[in-house]
Amino acid sequence: MNKHRLLYVSMLTLVLLMALFGPVGSIAAQEVTGQAAEQTSEQPKKTLIMGTSPDYPPYESVDAKNSGEIIGLDIDIANYILGELGYELKIQSMDFSGLIAALQSGRVDFVMSGMSATEERKQSVDFSEPYYFARNTIVSKAEFGYETLEDLKGKVVGAQLGSIQEAVANEVEGATEVRKLNKIADLIQEINSNRIDAAIVEDAVAIEMTNTSAGLAMNFLPADEADGGYAIAFPKNSPYVAEFNQVIAQMEENGKLDELMQKWFPEAKEADASRGIIDFSVLEGYVPYILKGIGVTLLFTLVSALLGLILGSILSLFKISSIKPLKWFATAYTSVFRGTPLLVQLTLIYYATPQLTGYDIPALLAAGLAFGLNSAAYLSETIRAGIMAVDKGQQEAAMALGIPYSKMMVSIIFPQALRNILPALVNEVVALIKESSLVSVIGVADLMRRADVVRADTFRSFEVLLLVAAIYYVLVLILTSLARALERRLRRGD
Amino acid sequence: MVINVQNLTKAYGKHQVLKGISTTVAKGEVVAIIGPSGSGKSTFLRCLNLLEVPTSGSIVIGNDEITSPKADIARIRQHIGMVFQHFHLFPHMTVLQNITFAPTTVKGVSLEQANKKAMELLEKVGLKDKANVYPSKLSGGQKQRVAIARSLAMEPDIMLFDEPTSALDPEMVKEVLNVIKDLAQSGMTMLIVTHEMKFAREAADTIYFLDQGQLIEATPPQQFFSKPSSERAARFLEQVL
Repeated sequence: MNKHRLLYVSMLTLVLLMALFGPVGSIAAQEVTGQAAEQTSEQPKKTLIMGTSPDYPPYESVDAKNSGEIIGLDIDIANYILGELGYELKIQSMDFSGLIAALQSGRVDFVMSGMSATEERKQSVDFSEPYYFARNTIVSKAEFGYETLEDLKGKVVGAQLGSIQEAVANEVEGATEVRKLNKIADLIQEINSNRIDAAIVEDAVAIEMTNTSAGLAMNFLPADEADGGYAIAFPKNSPYVAEFNQVIAQMEENGKLDELMQKWFPEAKEADASRGIIDFSVLEGYVPYILKGIGVTLLFTLVSALLGLILGSILSLFKISSIKPLKWFATAYTSVFRGTPLLVQLTLIYYATPQLTGYDIPALLAAGLAFGLNSAAYLSETIRAGIMAVDKGQQEAAMALGIPYSKMMVSIIFPQALRNILPALVNEVVALIKESSLVSVIGVADLMRRADVVRADTFRSFEVLLLVAAIYYVLVLILTSLARALERRLRRGD
Repeated sequence: MVINVQNLTKAYGKHQVLKGISTTVAKGEVVAIIGPSGSGKSTFLRCLNLLEVPTSGSIVIGNDEITSPKADIARIRQHIGMVFQHFHLFPHMTVLQNITFAPTTVKGVSLEQANKKAMELLEKVGLKDKANVYPSKLSGGQKQRVAIARSLAMEPDIMLFDEPTSALDPEMVKEVLNVIKDLAQSGMTMLIVTHEMKFAREAADTIYFLDQGQLIEATPPQQFFSKPSSERAARFLEQVL
């Protein structure tokens, strides 16, 4: 009988693998973030892939109000340079913290993302000549209006994590504390809530901040050209550095660079003081972009729930199996995946896979895998309990009729086990929908990621967060009522 | 001879439940197995389709030695129907689906044919009108009759009944026993573990009396119920009659 079980288990595993890589593969293929340049070329051109983190207007941001493409000063410069050199541009969107790793693993050919050519980064990548020297500013409430670094003595200073201004903030003498936050919009909230006294940000960003938030003021710090300025990053010993430098020099001479700066850099203007703390009119134009995230979130939840259910079922079979190694494997699996944080698993799978195996795993596939594998650990226990709760007589009746083990499990035991555990399954899916917001850290354009994009764009947080919270809530409500209908259907035998 | 049992033993750890049972059952023979509780009646019956794996001894059914390690147990079980004390109908399937599931999935019978056969069987057990009902809507007696029909749908050569009326309310015992009696008269080889002495006397060709894991008597009912040859059987009959 064990032979039959083994055969059955390996067949199920095969089906699982096909189910996994069939749909997920095609989803991943659709998930090409960013946009390509003109596609109309007579002869095939070489395509260069540019990595960028589109949450830093005016350098790069997602044009959420219109096409959802990535736009900004860096994009225009890249387009111009590649046009001059006769290459095609393809943009790959990712988190800022993943850009250097993407260069090193060869996922992208170059990076433009308002990135400063620091000594530290020069250890790992090559840089072009700088194309822009940003000036740092202090942003604070207008009533305080701090002007110099000396003014910040005894104050709490904020900066964006990983930015060049973080280093400046670290060097403020006598600052009580330096607080590093992920998003510019977070800095604004913290200033408005008086949790930080001032933030150090670069000029273009500071102008946007003061333009959108009445009551904030900015003051320039003395220019410091020692930080290297913003430059294009390449993998070590990249062949492209020299030709890029030529075009940058040319752009400086013919005024193209200035022209693009003019186009993108905001002008200081009076902020609209009539806006309240919460004003949903700021979301105008962004709603369709956010709503598109529902599909991604649902698709992702579906894929990971299915994977979790299939894999969890197999693991639960392992756990009730009489074959010791299978039992040990399933127990160890559950222990590891339940005992470590999901966020760690997600980040590891996404960043380690290309470096260990050379396979450039798409973000959505990595996320589906991480969530599916994690969910399987929990579900295997739930399903096992469901199977144990099915009357032993059911199995005996099936055996006495000569029904083979696999058919008995699929048609007799599992349906009854699933009915027993349906409420627990619904809980798991609800948790998955909400936890899916974690995938935004690896750049999957789900609801939460889109909310972050809009926060970066509008420099406001509350409205868009409230909107996505409402969307998540409605999704969960719909799911639970569907589950109730399903449960009624399954209980018709009672 | 359809069933030949040689020196069958079954032990759970140190506890010896069956202590060497040998017997033969002829084709068409109806055997009622009686005895005090704990005597090993059910275990003996469950060994015959290997729901319990014998500790030692051999069981030959037809030409198959089912206790051989090479035996194809699933195939052998297809020829041996079994009816349980607690019915064990599949609760998520209708009565009709309960009956047709095994023939269609195991024997590859077409659904159309299986449905036709199932309706015939339901008519036989008097439940034709319940075909599309779920088991939870049936009384205990009705459930047991469906369970019998479910076993018969596989067209078995042998039927095993493990206390088929013990879980029923008294007024439902008769409807089930009548179905089993009809089946006995049709020439089916059957072994029935039962506490219904009147039924055993009327329906069985042979009475097996088991006590403490041993087959004490295997005699025709008239002889067994009038003058049992063993003292233990006599004492048992005194208590139950």
